[in-house]
Amino acid sequence: MQSKHYPTGTVRALLETDMVTPQTRIALLERLNRETTAAPRFFDAAAYATLCAVCARLIPQPERPHPIDLAGAIDGRLAQKEGDGWRYDQMPPDGEAHRRGLLALDESAQLLFGGNFHELDEAQQDQLLLLVQRNEVSGGTWETIQASRFFEELLAGATESYYSHPLAQEEIGFVGMADAHGWQLIKLDELEAREPQALEDERERV
Amino acid sequence: MKEFETSPRHDEIRTGRAPDLYGRPVPMRQYAAHEMVDAVIIGTGAGGAPLMARLASAGLSVVALEAGRHWAPARDFATDEAAQMHLFWNDERLSAGGDPLWFGRNNSGTGVGGSTLHYTAYVPRVQHDDLRLHTEFGVGMDWPLAYDDLEPYYDELENSLGVSGPSPYPWGPPRRHAYPLAPLPLNGAAQLMERACATLDIRTSPAVNAAVSGSYFQAGMGWRPACKNCGFCQAGCNSGAKSSMDVTYVPVAIEAGAEVRSESFVTRLETDGAGRITGVVYTHGGDGVEYRQLCRTVFLCAGAIETPRLLLLNELANSSGQVGRNFMAHTGLQVWGQFEEDVRPYKGIPGGLISEDTHRPGDADFAGGYLLQSIGVMPVTYAAQVARGRGFWGERLREHMRGYNHTAGINILGECLPYEHNYVELSDETDARGLPKPRVHFTNGENERRLTAHAEKLMREIWTLAGAQDVWSFPRNAHIIGTARMGVDPETAVVNADGRAFDVPNLYICDNSIFPSALSCNPALTIMALSLRTADRFLKN
Repeated sequence: MQSKHYPTGTVRALLETDMVTPQTRIALLERLNRETTAAPRFFDAAAYATLCAVCARLIPQPERPHPIDLAGAIDGRLAQKEGDGWRYDQMPPDGEAHRRGLLALDESAQLLFGGNFHELDEAQQDQLLLLVQRNEVSGGTWETIQASRFFEELLAGATESYYSHPLAQEEIGFVGMADAHGWQLIKLDELEAREPQALEDERERV
Repeated sequence: MKEFETSPRHDEIRTGRAPDLYGRPVPMRQYAAHEMVDAVIIGTGAGGAPLMARLASAGLSVVALEAGRHWAPARDFATDEAAQMHLFWNDERLSAGGDPLWFGRNNSGTGVGGSTLHYTAYVPRVQHDDLRLHTEFGVGMDWPLAYDDLEPYYDELENSLGVSGPSPYPWGPPRRHAYPLAPLPLNGAAQLMERACATLDIRTSPAVNAAVSGSYFQAGMGWRPACKNCGFCQAGCNSGAKSSMDVTYVPVAIEAGAEVRSESFVTRLETDGAGRITGVVYTHGGDGVEYRQLCRTVFLCAGAIETPRLLLLNELANSSGQVGRNFMAHTGLQVWGQFEEDVRPYKGIPGGLISEDTHRPGDADFAGGYLLQSIGVMPVTYAAQVARGRGFWGERLREHMRGYNHTAGINILGECLPYEHNYVELSDETDARGLPKPRVHFTNGENERRLTAHAEKLMREIWTLAGAQDVWSFPRNAHIIGTARMGVDPETAVVNADGRAFDVPNLYICDNSIFPSALSCNPALTIMALSLRTADRFLKN
C-alpha cells in the first residue's frame, strides 16, 4: 500500500492564491466554512442521532476536534431533494430509503445489544454495520428495504461528502483544484511547486 | 387549438443573446412561437449540435430546445467535482435488472452541449467490422451503412473539432488526412500502461482526443486555447480546450442563424391526422407553463433514455414495437492499482493512452472486442468507486485513499449485444413534472461476461507487470445505446439509414439510440458523424 501522510494547510493556502479560479474558490470556501448542522431539516431527532453515529463509523475522524459534517450534508441533500440521476429500482425513493434504513438499524441494535445504535460502543456499532453491509439482518423494517443496498447508498453518500471537503483533500495530498494556470509537469514522479510531497517520517512510519 | 401562455420569465430569458465561453453576450436570432420553422432540434449534444450547424448554415430556420442551461464555462465552471454536479442529467431514472446501471455522472449530460460537457473527449473511429457484427459473428445487428459512408464525416469532424492524435494511427483503415493536432502529452497512468504493454508486445499509442493540444481557431468563436492538462474533462472544461459542442458546433449554428432555447423541456410532439408532427410543446424554466413551437420537421436528439421516453409518452414511431428495446451499455471494466511512483492521477487528459490490439482478439470466446485505455481519476469519483466496489469503510477507506496520489487505472470499452431482457420503459412513478420516470432494465449477457473476463485477465497482467500493488477491478457499463435502432426493415427498426422514422415522415432521430450495435469503441465521434450525415441526407431530399 502507498498510504501517505501529507502536510496540513495546503489546499487552504492555495485558495488564497490566483492558482485557483474564482468560482472554484467560492465552492470550496463555502464547504470549508460551513457550520456543523445544529438541527436537521429532513430527519427527526432520533433518526438524525442514528445517522450521526453511523457516519462517525463509516468515516471516523478521531483526530479532528471539529469533524467534517457528513450527516449534515446528507440531511441537507435530502431536504433539498437533490437527485443524482438514478436509484436502484428495488429501493424506495432516497428520503424514504434513508428513513427506513435508519429505523431498521435501531431495531437491530435493540435486538442485538439492547440499545439504540448511537448508544452502542464502537465495536458493537461496527459489528452491526458489517451485518447490514453483508445483508445479514432481517425482520421488522428490514423486510421493506434491502440492507446491503441501503448500506451502499449511505456509504457512497458519506464518502462523496467527505472527499469533497478541502480538509479531506489536504489529507490525501490532492491539489487538482489549483488549475488556473494548468499543469506542465505531468509525468511519473514529476511535481510542480504547489504539489505537496508526502511527509518522509510518516512514510517510514507507514 | 389550445392557447399557450407567455410568461415574463420566458421573454426575459429569450433576449436574443447567447453567452460565449467567457459569458459575453453573442447576438442570436429569435423566432416567434407561431412562426413555422423548418426544423426543431430536441437536444444539443453530439447528436443535435452538428446537424443544427449544418441546417442553419444551409439557410434553414432552426430552433433547438435544450433541457439544461446555456453555460459560459470560463465564468461558470468550478474545478470541483461536487460543484459540477449540475452538468449531469439528474432527473431520477429507475435502474433495474441484474446489473443496474448508474446514471447521473456516469452517463447523460444536461446543458447546451449535452453529454459532451462531461465526456472524456475520447474520439476513436469505428473500424470496418464494427458495422458488420452480425455478418462476422452471427449475433447482434449489422448497420445499414458502411465505414465508407461515415469516413468523409470523420475527416470533416476531426478537422472542425481540432482533434489531437497520432499520425499515422496504428489501427483501422488507412486515413486520407493526418490529425490536425499532435497528441496530448502522456501522464503517469499512460506511461505505466505504455511500458508494461511494451513488455507484453501489445501495441499502444497516444490516444485520440477531442481536446486541442495547441491553440486552434474555431469558426463562430475564435481561438481556443491549448489544453492545460487539468484532467477535469469529466466534470466540465473551463478553458474551452475540450471540443464539447458548446464551443464548436453550437456557436457555428448560432452565427448561421439558429436559435438555441435553453431550459426548455419537451413534453409533447403534436401530430396532424396524417401522422405528421406539426408542433413541439415544451416547458420553460420551472413554472410548468407550456409553449408550442410550430415546425416542419423534428430532429430528436435527446439520448438513448430521453429519446425513447418521449416517443413512448407520445405513442409515436413505434409500430415496430422496438422503441425502448435493444438497450445496450458498453462493457467498461476498470482495473486499479497503486504504484511506488508518484502518479498524481488528477493531471493530464484522463484517457492518455490507447490500444486497439484487442479489437478482435485471436483467442476470444465472444463476439466483438474492446479497446484498452489508461485512466486518471478525480478523488471523489475514485473514493465513491472504492466505497461501492470494494465496500471499504472506516479507517480502511481513509487508509486506502491516502494512496490516491499513487493510483492509476486502465479501462476497457467493449462490445455489448442487444438482448430481449434489456430495455427502457415508462414506470408508474412520476417526476416533478408529472411525467413517468423511465425504468431501465440491464443485465450483462454471456457475451459481455466472457469479454469482461478476457479483458480482466489481460488488464491484471498489464497492471501487475507495471508494478501495481493492491490491484482491484471495478465492473461497470458505460454509455447508453440502442433504444430506437436504425435498419432497413420497418418491422424491426425505428428509423432508416438516414435517421428518418419509418412511421413519421417528418421525424428524424439522431443520437446513440439509433445505433444497431454498440461498437467496440467510444460512441461520440460516430454520433457526430451520423449527425452531419443525417443533415446532408435531409437537405438532399
